Amino acid sequence: MTSGKPSGSGLKTIIRASRLITRMNQARPEASPSEGMYYTLLADYYSRLLNAPETGDFIAAHTVFFPAEIMYAMDILPMHTETTTWMIALFSGEAAEILSAGAELGLASEICTPHRGLAGAFVVGTLPRPDVMLWSNLVCDNTAKSGELLMEINQCPGFFIDHPFHDSEEEMVYLVKELEDMVRFLEEHSGRKMDWDRLGEVVAETDKQMQLYREINELRKAVPTPFHSQGFLQLLSVDYLFAGRPEATAYLETLRQELADAVEEGRGAVANERFRLMSLFVPPMYLMGFLERISQEYGAVSVTEPFFTYWGEGRLDPAKPLESVARKAYMLPEVQMYGPLDERQLSRVAKLAQDYKVDGAIYYADVGCRHTCAAIKIFKDVLNEVDVPVLTLDCDVVDPTITSEEEVREKLEGFFELLEDR
Amino acid sequence: MTDTPQENSTGLPTLERFREFNSTFPHAKEVLDFKEQGGKVFGWLCTYVPEEIIHAAGVLPIRITGYREEVELDDGTAYLYVNSCSFSRSCFQLGLRGEYDFLDGVVGGSTCDGARRLFDVWRQYIGTPFHHVLNVPRKYTERAHQLYLDQVMKFKQHLEEFLGSAITDEALRGSIDLYNESRALLRELYELRKLDEPPISGAETLEVLVASFHMPKELFNQWLRSLLDELSESNIRHRSRARLMITGSVMENPEFIRTIEGEGALVVADELCTSTRYWSDPVVLDGSTSPLEAVSRRYLNNFPCARMYPSDERFDRIADLIKEFRVDGVVSEIIRYCVPYAHDLPLLTHRLTGQGIPVLALDVEYGTSGSGQIKTRVQAFLEMLEAKKR
Repeated sequence: MTSGKPSGSGLKTIIRASRLITRMNQARPEASPSEGMYYTLLADYYSRLLNAPETGDFIAAHTVFFPAEIMYAMDILPMHTETTTWMIALFSGEAAEILSAGAELGLASEICTPHRGLAGAFVVGTLPRPDVMLWSNLVCDNTAKSGELLMEINQCPGFFIDHPFHDSEEEMVYLVKELEDMVRFLEEHSGRKMDWDRLGEVVAETDKQMQLYREINELRKAVPTPFHSQGFLQLLSVDYLFAGRPEATAYLETLRQELADAVEEGRGAVANERFRLMSLFVPPMYLMGFLERISQEYGAVSVTEPFFTYWGEGRLDPAKPLESVARKAYMLPEVQMYGPLDERQLSRVAKLAQDYKVDGAIYYADVGCRHTCAAIKIFKDVLNEVDVPVLTLDCDVVDPTITSEEEVREKLEGFFELLEDR
Repeated sequence: MTDTPQENSTGLPTLERFREFNSTFPHAKEVLDFKEQGGKVFGWLCTYVPEEIIHAAGVLPIRITGYREEVELDDGTAYLYVNSCSFSRSCFQLGLRGEYDFLDGVVGGSTCDGARRLFDVWRQYIGTPFHHVLNVPRKYTERAHQLYLDQVMKFKQHLEEFLGSAITDEALRGSIDLYNESRALLRELYELRKLDEPPISGAETLEVLVASFHMPKELFNQWLRSLLDELSESNIRHRSRARLMITGSVMENPEFIRTIEGEGALVVADELCTSTRYWSDPVVLDGSTSPLEAVSRRYLNNFPCARMYPSDERFDRIADLIKEFRVDGVVSEIIRYCVPYAHDLPLLTHRLTGQGIPVLALDVEYGTSGSGQIKTRVQAFLEMLEAKKR
């Protein structure tokens, strides 16, 4: 049950594809600068990971919704495991080998593919072996339970952050103490000391980024909306991989300016905006190109994603860096799905549908994602109350055998017809 | 004297009473009588909910469970989707169809995705007057204990506000004593399972356990004392081809164990939240802590669910049970989409097989009584265990 010889082949795939897209964009006058910046960011992130054995960088593999700020402040190289797995699936167009390796470990098919796949990816050596494994219970059992097996596979030490369920002050204090313990753990294993002033600077940068996300959200309210349909996934990746990095701030500033210009000029992301959509949860990565094409074809564009792009209220205080990192964990859009699904959450989703003039919502029902699928009925009812129909699309974020492009096309076309009739 | 456990009459009158109770739950007379006499009844959704606090408030706590057998879960699936575990869907469907309409409150914990979403849909669609969900930490650190104590205090306060009366330390001590008595009696029952030829089968034990979290503890303790007397006087002895332990997801259908035992095995130990993990650890009142803190510590420190970290705590206790009950092999039954147990399985299997304990992994649905395929796999497992002994 240990990792194979790391080849980093998965990382090379992401780097090659990112550089190729960057070069292609340079050759297209209509391509936006932010797009090129995004893929340059990706290529740099994965190049650093790939070269870590030579540079001596200390790699901390971590699960989703994890405070990368702490690693950046300690000059530790973070490796976002789920994002890396789905990017490999996205750029290589196939996930069979890593999923099969995960299954051979004894992981049941019900375990979501990003986690089954990442365990498999370590086994076959697609991902580099980390020096430590970090994980938390945000936002589901899969993340909470994945770390120990990954420690075993990689024969490395690990640290688990126990994120509280509610958002009381006592629970916030608990989370801060958990983070303090993790910093001590990282200091012990990496030999690097936390620079608290540096963490304050990183937090200040993250705060700027959160403000930029909010400004971008405001711009997306415009009719026609300026941001392309699957663009929200780039916003997600930027926070996942580059939180607190100045180059990510530069990307977001560029994007905000591009969107502001488009709004001022009345330019929409699609030529003829007909359907404004709310996206709930993760679309199949291997259908990204198709989803963009059908968006253009039908003038259907995602304008809001309550659990991906809509941040909780509040600002971060660089003078209290660790507390700020903890508070950010509660402001993360996805984390709104972790606590109780009470009136606060439900009314927020309904309000977003109204504020963004949403015509319909697409609920990506990822077969491996239990906690999001179990809320389909609740959200459908909430959205139907504000006259927003919901299409449920059964899919898998990584595994192309669950649903095909043809099936998705048929369902989307049926849904667009329904919206048209309304 | 019997070679393998039989399905029907046991010659143990109290076991028959437990069966009768189970067959009528949730509308069991013993529960409805409590309600008709003016008492309040609360349902709890997970073993991390401290029952003693509910009991000390004068309320009858019962565990919310689903159908006793595998059924079509059309309503459950419509509300919780097909990839929620069948336990959550089964419980919810029973609730949606009015079988738990007599409940005055529902209490859950943030224990797993299935439990927290079951709580969410219950609150949204089933009109139970009182709802509370506790944050249950996943660690055993002192800090985690303090946080959980804070959660338990908030729960107590919420309950007091709802009922309009205080829960006194004296009442809580009384409830702790009652529940500890129940745990001690169950330990006596389990001691009998350590014998070479136990007088009670695994399936029969589960019948007792299912009643234990569904009926008033006062009555349960009386009945269990009677059963222990009957067992001590009986000459029933169960012989077996192999001594097995069941681990994994929530399970309450004795027919599943009966299917395994029907192949000549005897289930002598179990590690389920409906069995050992429910009752094994007492609340320790040592004079230095308040009864509330003692309850809180017991629930977080209890024989852990797979949700807890580190998993070694659970694995160590499973290994201890294997030695204590002289287990030949382990049957892991995991409900589809029960992710905490599914994630632990490779690590647990690796560890147990390293200690010479074979593991049979079965994917099941909640309520299953065991299919022909399960029988075939159990037969092969038993043959392998027998060959290993030779």
